[in-house]
Amino acid sequence: MDIDDILQEVDPSFHTIPQEKRDLQELTRAWVAERSAPELLPWPADGLFERINGSIKRQIEKVEEMTGDMDPKTNFALIVIQTELERFKYLVRSYLRARIAKIDKHTLHYLSTDELRGRLSDMELAYATRHQALLHNHYLSSFLASFPPALQNLNDTAGGISMIETPDLESAVFIRLLKNALVEGRGVDTDDATNMQVNDIVILRWSDAKPLVEAGSAELI
Amino acid sequence: MPMYGDLGNKLVQHAKRTQGLAHLPPYQTELVRAATREVRDLDKDVASLLEPFQGSFDPTADQATACTLLVNHLSMRRNKRCLLAYHRTRTDKLEELAWNGTDILELAGQQAGGTNGAPIADAGEASSLSPQEEDYFRQYGDLLAAYKGQWTDIDLTGSLEPPRDLFIDVRVLKDAGEIQTEYGAINLTKNSQFYVRQGDVERLIAQGYLQKLG
Repeated sequence: MDIDDILQEVDPSFHTIPQEKRDLQELTRAWVAERSAPELLPWPADGLFERINGSIKRQIEKVEEMTGDMDPKTNFALIVIQTELERFKYLVRSYLRARIAKIDKHTLHYLSTDELRGRLSDMELAYATRHQALLHNHYLSSFLASFPPALQNLNDTAGGISMIETPDLESAVFIRLLKNALVEGRGVDTDDATNMQVNDIVILRWSDAKPLVEAGSAELI
Repeated sequence: MPMYGDLGNKLVQHAKRTQGLAHLPPYQTELVRAATREVRDLDKDVASLLEPFQGSFDPTADQATACTLLVNHLSMRRNKRCLLAYHRTRTDKLEELAWNGTDILELAGQQAGGTNGAPIADAGEASSLSPQEEDYFRQYGDLLAAYKGQWTDIDLTGSLEPPRDLFIDVRVLKDAGEIQTEYGAINLTKNSQFYVRQGDVERLIAQGYLQKLG
Protein backbone atom coordinates (compact mmCIF):
# COMPACT_ATOMS: atom_id res chain seq x y z
CA MET A 1 0.00 0.00 0.00
CA ASP A 2 1.52 3.33 -0.94
CA ILE A 3 0.74 6.81 0.21
CA ASP A 4 -1.87 7.43 -2.50
CA ASP A 5 -4.03 4.57 -1.28
CA ILE A 6 -3.93 5.91 2.23
CA LEU A 7 -4.85 9.37 1.05
CA GLN A 8 -7.69 8.00 -1.01
CA GLU A 9 -9.04 6.15 1.98
CA VAL A 10 -9.34 9.26 4.09
CA ASP A 11 -10.62 11.43 1.26
CA PRO A 12 -14.39 11.45 1.66
CA SER A 13 -14.91 12.58 -1.93
CA PHE A 14 -13.35 9.38 -3.24
CA HIS A 15 -16.28 7.29 -4.35
CA THR A 16 -15.52 3.69 -3.55
CA ILE A 17 -18.98 3.36 -2.06
CA PRO A 18 -21.63 2.37 -4.58
CA GLN A 19 -24.21 4.97 -5.55
CA GLU A 20 -27.11 3.10 -3.93
CA LYS A 21 -25.39 2.99 -0.60
CA ARG A 22 -24.52 6.66 -0.74
CA ASP A 23 -28.14 7.44 -1.61
CA LEU A 24 -29.30 5.54 1.43
CA GLN A 25 -26.84 7.43 3.61
CA GLU A 26 -27.97 10.70 2.14
CA LEU A 27 -31.62 9.79 2.64
CA THR A 28 -31.03 8.75 6.24
CA ARG A 29 -29.14 11.93 6.96
CA ALA A 30 -31.84 14.07 5.33
CA TRP A 31 -34.49 12.20 7.30
CA VAL A 32 -32.76 12.68 10.66
CA ALA A 33 -32.03 16.32 9.91
CA GLU A 34 -35.56 17.08 8.76
CA ARG A 35 -37.03 15.57 11.88
CA SER A 36 -34.72 17.53 14.19
CA ALA A 37 -34.65 20.93 12.55
CA PRO A 38 -37.38 23.35 13.59
CA GLU A 39 -37.72 24.76 10.07
CA LEU A 40 -38.08 23.21 6.65
CA LEU A 41 -34.74 22.26 5.08
CA PRO A 42 -34.07 22.53 1.34
CA TRP A 43 -35.34 19.69 -0.84
CA PRO A 44 -32.34 17.66 -2.08
CA ALA A 45 -31.68 19.02 -5.53
CA ASP A 46 -29.36 16.39 -6.96
CA GLY A 47 -32.06 13.97 -8.07
CA LEU A 48 -31.75 11.86 -4.92
CA PHE A 49 -35.44 11.07 -4.84
CA GLU A 50 -35.61 10.17 -8.50
CA ARG A 51 -32.84 7.63 -7.90
CA ILE A 52 -34.47 6.30 -4.74
CA ASN A 53 -37.81 5.94 -6.46
CA GLY A 54 -36.06 4.04 -9.22
CA SER A 55 -34.42 1.68 -6.72
CA ILE A 56 -37.71 1.04 -4.98
CA LYS A 57 -39.40 0.28 -8.29
CA ARG A 58 -36.66 -2.14 -9.28
CA GLN A 59 -36.85 -3.96 -5.95
CA ILE A 60 -40.62 -4.26 -6.19
CA GLU A 61 -40.25 -5.78 -9.65
CA LYS A 62 -37.64 -8.17 -8.33
CA VAL A 63 -39.94 -9.22 -5.51
CA GLU A 64 -42.71 -9.88 -7.99
CA GLU A 65 -40.39 -11.97 -10.13
CA MET A 66 -39.14 -14.00 -7.20
CA THR A 67 -42.54 -14.64 -5.65
CA GLY A 68 -43.37 -17.37 -8.12
CA ASP A 69 -40.24 -19.29 -7.19
CA MET A 70 -40.78 -21.95 -4.53
CA ASP A 71 -37.12 -22.65 -3.85
CA PRO A 72 -36.49 -22.10 -0.09
CA LYS A 73 -33.28 -20.20 -0.87
CA THR A 74 -35.12 -17.66 -2.99
CA ASN A 75 -37.75 -17.47 -0.32
CA PHE A 76 -35.20 -16.39 2.22
CA ALA A 77 -33.70 -13.82 -0.12
CA LEU A 78 -37.21 -12.59 -0.78
CA ILE A 79 -37.81 -11.92 2.89
CA VAL A 80 -34.54 -10.01 3.16
CA ILE A 81 -35.37 -7.90 0.13
CA GLN A 82 -38.90 -7.23 1.29
CA THR A 83 -37.73 -6.21 4.74
CA GLU A 84 -35.22 -3.85 3.21
CA LEU A 85 -37.91 -2.51 0.92
CA GLU A 86 -40.26 -1.81 3.82
CA ARG A 87 -37.50 0.05 5.64
CA PHE A 88 -36.68 2.10 2.58
CA LYS A 89 -40.31 2.99 2.10
CA TYR A 90 -40.60 3.90 5.74
CA LEU A 91 -37.67 6.32 5.49
CA VAL A 92 -39.11 8.07 2.46
CA ARG A 93 -42.61 8.18 3.94
CA SER A 94 -41.46 9.50 7.28
CA TYR A 95 -39.27 12.10 5.60
CA LEU A 96 -42.05 13.36 3.34
CA ARG A 97 -44.55 13.44 6.18
CA ALA A 98 -42.16 15.41 8.39
CA ARG A 99 -41.88 17.98 5.60
CA ILE A 100 -45.60 18.14 4.94
CA ALA A 101 -46.26 18.67 8.65
CA LYS A 102 -43.92 21.67 8.66
CA ILE A 103 -45.36 23.05 5.44
CA ASP A 104 -48.91 22.72 6.74
CA LYS A 105 -48.05 24.47 9.96
CA HIS A 106 -46.49 27.55 8.37
CA THR A 107 -47.86 27.49 4.85
CA LEU A 108 -47.99 31.23 4.28
CA HIS A 109 -44.50 31.66 5.66
CA TYR A 110 -42.98 29.15 3.24
CA LEU A 111 -44.89 30.66 0.35
CA SER A 112 -43.94 34.22 1.22
CA THR A 113 -40.48 34.61 -0.38
CA ASP A 114 -38.71 33.04 -3.34
CA GLU A 115 -35.88 31.85 -1.12
CA LEU A 116 -38.31 29.92 1.08
CA ARG A 117 -40.34 28.63 -1.87
CA GLY A 118 -37.09 27.27 -3.27
CA ARG A 119 -36.84 24.84 -0.39
CA LEU A 120 -39.97 23.03 -1.50
CA SER A 121 -40.09 20.41 -4.21
CA ASP A 122 -42.41 21.13 -7.15
CA MET A 123 -44.98 18.72 -5.78
CA GLU A 124 -44.83 20.26 -2.33
CA LEU A 125 -45.15 23.72 -3.80
CA ALA A 126 -48.27 22.70 -5.69
CA TYR A 127 -49.66 21.08 -2.56
CA ALA A 128 -48.92 24.08 -0.34
CA THR A 129 -50.39 26.59 -2.79
CA ARG A 130 -53.57 24.60 -3.20
CA HIS A 131 -53.87 23.91 0.51
CA GLN A 132 -53.59 27.59 1.34
CA ALA A 133 -56.18 28.43 -1.30
CA LEU A 134 -58.55 25.85 0.17
CA LEU A 135 -58.08 27.21 3.67
CA HIS A 136 -58.60 30.81 2.60
CA ASN A 137 -61.71 29.80 0.74
CA HIS A 138 -62.98 27.96 3.76
CA TYR A 139 -62.46 31.00 6.00
CA LEU A 140 -64.14 33.20 3.43
CA SER A 141 -67.22 31.05 3.09
CA SER A 142 -67.45 30.41 6.84
CA PHE A 143 -67.18 33.95 8.14
CA LEU A 144 -64.55 36.14 6.52
CA ALA A 145 -66.69 37.14 3.54
CA SER A 146 -69.12 38.98 5.80
CA PHE A 147 -66.31 40.94 7.41
CA PRO A 148 -65.60 44.56 6.46
CA PRO A 149 -63.27 44.48 3.42
CA ALA A 150 -60.39 46.05 5.32
CA LEU A 151 -60.38 43.11 7.73
CA GLN A 152 -60.41 40.29 5.21
CA ASN A 153 -56.66 39.90 4.79
CA LEU A 154 -54.72 37.01 6.20
CA ASN A 155 -51.38 38.80 6.27
CA ASP A 156 -52.02 41.83 8.46
CA THR A 157 -49.12 43.14 10.46
CA ALA A 158 -51.18 45.56 12.57
CA GLY A 159 -49.91 46.26 16.05
CA GLY A 160 -46.45 45.01 15.19
CA ILE A 161 -47.61 41.39 15.15
CA SER A 162 -47.61 39.63 11.83
CA MET A 163 -50.48 37.25 11.22
CA ILE A 164 -48.08 34.89 9.53
CA GLU A 165 -46.49 32.62 12.07
CA THR A 166 -42.91 31.59 11.53
CA PRO A 167 -41.02 28.59 12.87
CA ASP A 168 -39.01 29.15 16.03
CA LEU A 169 -35.42 29.30 14.84
CA GLU A 170 -34.13 29.68 18.39
CA SER A 171 -35.22 26.23 19.54
CA ALA A 172 -32.53 23.78 20.55
CA VAL A 173 -31.02 21.04 18.40
CA PHE A 174 -28.30 18.45 18.86
CA ILE A 175 -25.47 18.39 16.35
CA ARG A 176 -22.48 16.15 15.82
CA LEU A 177 -19.33 17.70 14.44
CA LEU A 178 -18.10 16.24 11.14
CA LYS A 179 -15.01 18.44 11.03
CA ASN A 180 -13.04 20.29 13.63
CA ALA A 181 -14.68 23.66 13.86
CA LEU A 182 -15.24 26.69 16.01
CA VAL A 183 -18.72 26.47 17.49
CA GLU A 184 -20.27 29.74 18.54
CA GLY A 185 -23.40 29.67 20.64
CA ARG A 186 -25.50 32.44 22.09
CA GLY A 187 -26.70 31.87 25.62
CA VAL A 188 -29.21 33.67 27.81
CA ASP A 189 -26.59 35.60 29.78
CA THR A 190 -23.35 35.12 27.91
CA ASP A 191 -22.23 33.92 24.50
CA ASP A 192 -19.64 31.24 24.11
CA ALA A 193 -17.24 30.04 21.43
CA THR A 194 -15.38 26.75 21.66
CA ASN A 195 -13.13 24.78 19.35
CA MET A 196 -14.75 21.41 18.85
CA GLN A 197 -13.39 18.14 17.51
CA VAL A 198 -14.88 15.67 15.06
CA ASN A 199 -17.64 13.54 16.65
CA ASP A 200 -18.21 15.99 19.48
CA ILE A 201 -21.88 16.42 20.24
CA VAL A 202 -23.34 19.75 21.30
CA ILE A 203 -26.76 21.17 21.98
CA LEU A 204 -27.35 24.72 20.84
CA ARG A 205 -29.84 27.02 19.16
CA TRP A 206 -30.79 26.06 15.61
CA SER A 207 -29.97 29.57 14.40
CA ASP A 208 -26.38 29.07 15.65
CA ALA A 209 -26.12 25.51 14.38
CA LYS A 210 -27.50 26.28 10.92
CA PRO A 211 -24.31 27.76 9.37
CA LEU A 212 -22.28 24.75 10.56
CA VAL A 213 -24.82 22.29 9.17
CA GLU A 214 -25.06 24.11 5.87
CA ALA A 215 -21.28 24.20 5.53
CA GLY A 216 -21.16 20.45 6.11
CA SER A 217 -19.11 20.84 9.29
CA ALA A 218 -21.82 19.29 11.43
CA GLU A 219 -24.91 17.12 11.13
CA LEU A 220 -28.15 17.16 13.04
CA ILE A 221 -28.86 14.16 15.23
CA MET B 1 -75.44 41.50 28.89
CA PRO B 2 -72.52 39.88 27.12
CA MET B 3 -69.38 41.91 26.97
CA TYR B 4 -67.00 42.53 24.12
CA GLY B 5 -64.85 39.53 23.56
CA ASP B 6 -67.11 37.04 25.33
CA LEU B 7 -68.04 35.40 22.05
CA GLY B 8 -64.45 35.17 20.90
CA ASN B 9 -63.47 33.72 24.23
CA LYS B 10 -66.11 31.02 23.91
CA LEU B 11 -64.85 30.12 20.45
CA VAL B 12 -61.33 29.77 21.73
CA GLN B 13 -62.53 27.59 24.58
CA HIS B 14 -64.33 25.38 22.10
CA ALA B 15 -61.18 25.18 20.00
CA LYS B 16 -59.07 24.31 23.02
CA ARG B 17 -61.47 21.55 23.98
CA THR B 18 -61.52 20.22 20.42
CA GLN B 19 -57.75 19.74 20.49
CA GLY B 20 -58.03 17.14 23.22
CA LEU B 21 -60.94 15.21 21.72
CA ALA B 22 -60.77 12.20 19.46
CA HIS B 23 -63.83 13.28 17.49
CA LEU B 24 -65.01 16.63 16.21
CA PRO B 25 -67.68 18.31 18.36
CA PRO B 26 -70.62 20.01 16.57
CA TYR B 27 -69.86 23.20 14.68
CA GLN B 28 -70.90 26.31 16.64
CA THR B 29 -72.91 27.95 13.87
CA GLU B 30 -74.64 30.44 16.19
CA LEU B 31 -71.45 31.47 17.93
CA VAL B 32 -69.61 32.03 14.67
CA ARG B 33 -72.50 34.05 13.31
CA ALA B 34 -72.73 36.16 16.47
CA ALA B 35 -69.00 36.88 16.54
CA THR B 36 -69.10 37.88 12.89
CA ARG B 37 -72.10 40.10 13.56
CA GLU B 38 -70.24 41.76 16.43
CA VAL B 39 -67.43 42.64 14.05
CA ARG B 40 -69.84 44.14 11.53
CA ASP B 41 -71.62 46.15 14.26
CA LEU B 42 -68.33 47.46 15.59
CA ASP B 43 -67.30 48.44 12.10
CA LYS B 44 -70.55 50.35 11.68
CA ASP B 45 -69.96 52.07 15.03
CA VAL B 46 -66.52 53.13 13.90
CA ALA B 47 -67.93 54.50 10.65
CA SER B 48 -70.67 56.48 12.42
CA LEU B 49 -68.22 57.80 15.02
CA LEU B 50 -65.90 59.02 12.35
CA GLU B 51 -68.58 60.40 10.07
CA PRO B 52 -68.93 63.89 11.63
CA PHE B 53 -65.17 64.40 11.32
CA GLN B 54 -65.12 64.01 7.53
CA GLY B 55 -61.76 62.29 7.53
CA SER B 56 -60.00 64.96 9.61
CA PHE B 57 -60.13 63.25 12.99
CA ASP B 58 -57.48 64.40 15.45
CA PRO B 59 -56.99 61.86 18.28
CA THR B 60 -55.32 64.39 20.63
CA ALA B 61 -58.24 66.78 20.38
CA ASP B 62 -60.89 64.21 21.22
CA GLN B 63 -59.33 61.57 23.40
CA ALA B 64 -62.59 59.91 24.48
CA THR B 65 -63.56 59.15 20.89
CA ALA B 66 -60.02 58.07 20.11
CA CYS B 67 -60.16 55.59 22.96
CA THR B 68 -63.50 54.18 21.80
CA LEU B 69 -62.13 53.80 18.31
CA LEU B 70 -59.06 52.00 19.57
CA VAL B 71 -61.10 49.58 21.67
CA ASN B 72 -63.42 48.89 18.74
CA HIS B 73 -60.46 48.42 16.45
CA LEU B 74 -58.80 45.92 18.77
CA SER B 75 -62.03 44.07 19.50
CA MET B 76 -62.65 43.49 15.80
CA ARG B 77 -59.18 42.12 15.31
CA ARG B 78 -59.46 39.96 18.36
CA ASN B 79 -62.70 38.45 17.13
CA LYS B 80 -61.06 37.76 13.82
CA ARG B 81 -58.19 35.97 15.50
CA CYS B 82 -60.57 33.91 17.60
CA LEU B 83 -62.62 32.95 14.56
CA LEU B 84 -59.51 32.02 12.61
CA ALA B 85 -58.17 29.98 15.50
CA TYR B 86 -61.48 28.17 15.91
CA HIS B 87 -61.73 27.28 12.24
CA ARG B 88 -58.10 26.35 11.90
CA THR B 89 -58.28 23.98 14.86
CA ARG B 90 -61.20 22.25 13.21
CA THR B 91 -59.62 22.05 9.77
CA ASP B 92 -56.47 20.63 11.37
CA LYS B 93 -58.65 17.92 12.87
CA LEU B 94 -60.33 17.32 9.52
CA GLU B 95 -56.96 17.01 7.82
CA GLU B 96 -55.85 14.52 10.43
CA LEU B 97 -58.97 12.48 9.67
CA ALA B 98 -58.24 12.68 5.96
CA TRP B 99 -54.69 11.40 6.52
CA ASN B 100 -56.01 8.53 8.63
CA GLY B 101 -58.32 7.58 5.81
CA THR B 102 -61.55 8.28 7.68
CA ASP B 103 -64.59 8.56 5.49
CA ILE B 104 -66.82 11.56 5.97
CA LEU B 105 -69.94 9.42 5.75
CA GLU B 106 -68.56 7.15 8.43
CA LEU B 107 -67.95 10.23 10.51
CA ALA B 108 -71.57 11.30 10.23
CA GLY B 109 -72.71 7.79 11.15
CA GLN B 110 -70.42 7.76 14.15
CA GLN B 111 -71.92 11.00 15.36
CA ALA B 112 -75.49 9.78 14.92
CA GLY B 113 -74.74 6.67 16.94
CA GLY B 114 -73.01 8.59 19.71
CA THR B 115 -69.28 8.29 20.23
CA ASN B 116 -69.12 6.44 23.52
CA GLY B 117 -72.44 4.70 23.58
CA ALA B 118 -74.33 7.79 24.70
CA PRO B 119 -77.04 8.52 22.14
CA ILE B 120 -77.03 12.06 20.85
CA ALA B 121 -80.27 13.76 21.83
CA ASP B 122 -80.90 15.48 18.54
CA ALA B 123 -81.02 12.69 15.97
CA GLY B 124 -81.79 15.20 13.20
CA GLU B 125 -78.27 16.57 13.53
CA ALA B 126 -76.51 13.97 11.45
CA SER B 127 -73.21 15.74 10.99
CA SER B 128 -71.10 17.80 13.35
CA LEU B 129 -69.55 19.59 10.39
CA SER B 130 -70.77 22.79 8.85
CA PRO B 131 -71.58 22.53 5.12
CA GLN B 132 -68.43 24.55 4.44
CA GLU B 133 -66.39 22.10 6.44
CA GLU B 134 -67.84 19.19 4.51
CA ASP B 135 -66.75 20.91 1.31
CA TYR B 136 -63.34 21.55 2.75
CA PHE B 137 -62.96 17.96 3.82
CA ARG B 138 -63.83 16.71 0.35
CA GLN B 139 -61.51 19.14 -1.38
CA TYR B 140 -58.66 18.41 0.99
CA GLY B 141 -59.21 14.71 0.41
CA ASP B 142 -58.81 15.30 -3.32
CA LEU B 143 -55.69 17.34 -2.76
CA LEU B 144 -54.21 14.67 -0.54
CA ALA B 145 -55.05 11.97 -3.04
CA ALA B 146 -53.34 13.99 -5.77
CA TYR B 147 -50.20 14.47 -3.71
CA LYS B 148 -50.18 10.84 -2.62
CA GLY B 149 -50.69 9.69 -6.20
CA GLN B 150 -47.28 11.07 -7.11
CA TRP B 151 -45.65 8.68 -4.65
CA THR B 152 -47.39 5.48 -5.65
CA ASP B 153 -44.81 3.06 -4.26
CA ILE B 154 -44.48 4.67 -0.86
CA ASP B 155 -48.07 4.82 0.49
CA LEU B 156 -47.74 8.15 2.26
CA THR B 157 -50.63 7.49 4.62
CA GLY B 158 -49.04 4.26 5.81
CA SER B 159 -47.77 3.66 9.30
CA LEU B 160 -45.25 6.07 10.75
CA GLU B 161 -43.95 3.42 13.10
CA PRO B 162 -40.61 2.06 11.94
CA PRO B 163 -41.17 -1.41 10.47
CA ARG B 164 -39.81 -4.26 12.58
CA ASP B 165 -41.23 -7.48 11.25
CA LEU B 166 -42.29 -8.24 7.76
CA PHE B 167 -44.98 -10.58 9.00
CA ILE B 168 -47.27 -9.99 11.94
CA ASP B 169 -50.04 -11.81 13.82
CA VAL B 170 -53.43 -10.20 13.50
CA ARG B 171 -56.85 -10.95 14.91
CA VAL B 172 -59.94 -10.08 12.91
CA LEU B 173 -62.30 -7.80 14.83
CA LYS B 174 -64.91 -7.28 12.13
CA ASP B 175 -65.69 -9.33 9.04
CA ALA B 176 -63.67 -7.80 6.26
CA GLY B 177 -64.30 -10.25 3.46
CA GLU B 178 -61.61 -11.74 1.28
CA ILE B 179 -58.30 -10.04 0.59
CA GLN B 180 -55.72 -10.90 -2.03
CA THR B 181 -52.11 -11.28 -0.98
CA GLU B 182 -49.16 -12.59 -2.92
CA TYR B 183 -49.51 -15.84 -1.01
CA GLY B 184 -53.10 -16.31 -2.12
CA ALA B 185 -56.48 -15.17 -0.87
CA ILE B 186 -57.31 -14.93 2.83
CA ASN B 187 -60.86 -14.86 4.12
CA LEU B 188 -61.05 -12.49 7.05
CA THR B 189 -63.88 -13.69 9.27
CA LYS B 190 -64.45 -12.31 12.73
CA ASN B 191 -62.33 -13.72 15.59
CA SER B 192 -59.99 -15.65 13.31
CA GLN B 193 -56.25 -15.14 13.55
CA PHE B 194 -53.67 -14.86 10.77
CA TYR B 195 -49.96 -14.49 10.21
CA VAL B 196 -49.74 -12.02 7.35
CA ARG B 197 -47.45 -9.53 5.68
CA GLN B 198 -47.79 -6.19 7.48
CA GLY B 199 -47.87 -4.20 4.25
CA ASP B 200 -50.91 -6.13 3.04
CA VAL B 201 -53.10 -5.37 6.03
CA GLU B 202 -51.94 -1.96 7.25
CA ARG B 203 -55.03 -0.28 5.81
CA LEU B 204 -57.35 -2.73 7.54
CA ILE B 205 -55.62 -2.23 10.89
CA ALA B 206 -55.99 1.53 10.58
CA GLN B 207 -59.66 1.13 9.75
CA GLY B 208 -60.21 -1.06 12.79
CA TYR B 209 -60.99 -4.34 11.03
CA LEU B 210 -57.89 -6.06 12.32
CA GLN B 211 -55.94 -5.89 15.53
CA LYS B 212 -52.20 -6.36 15.63
CA LEU B 213 -51.10 -8.93 18.22
CA GLY B 214 -47.93 -9.16 20.24
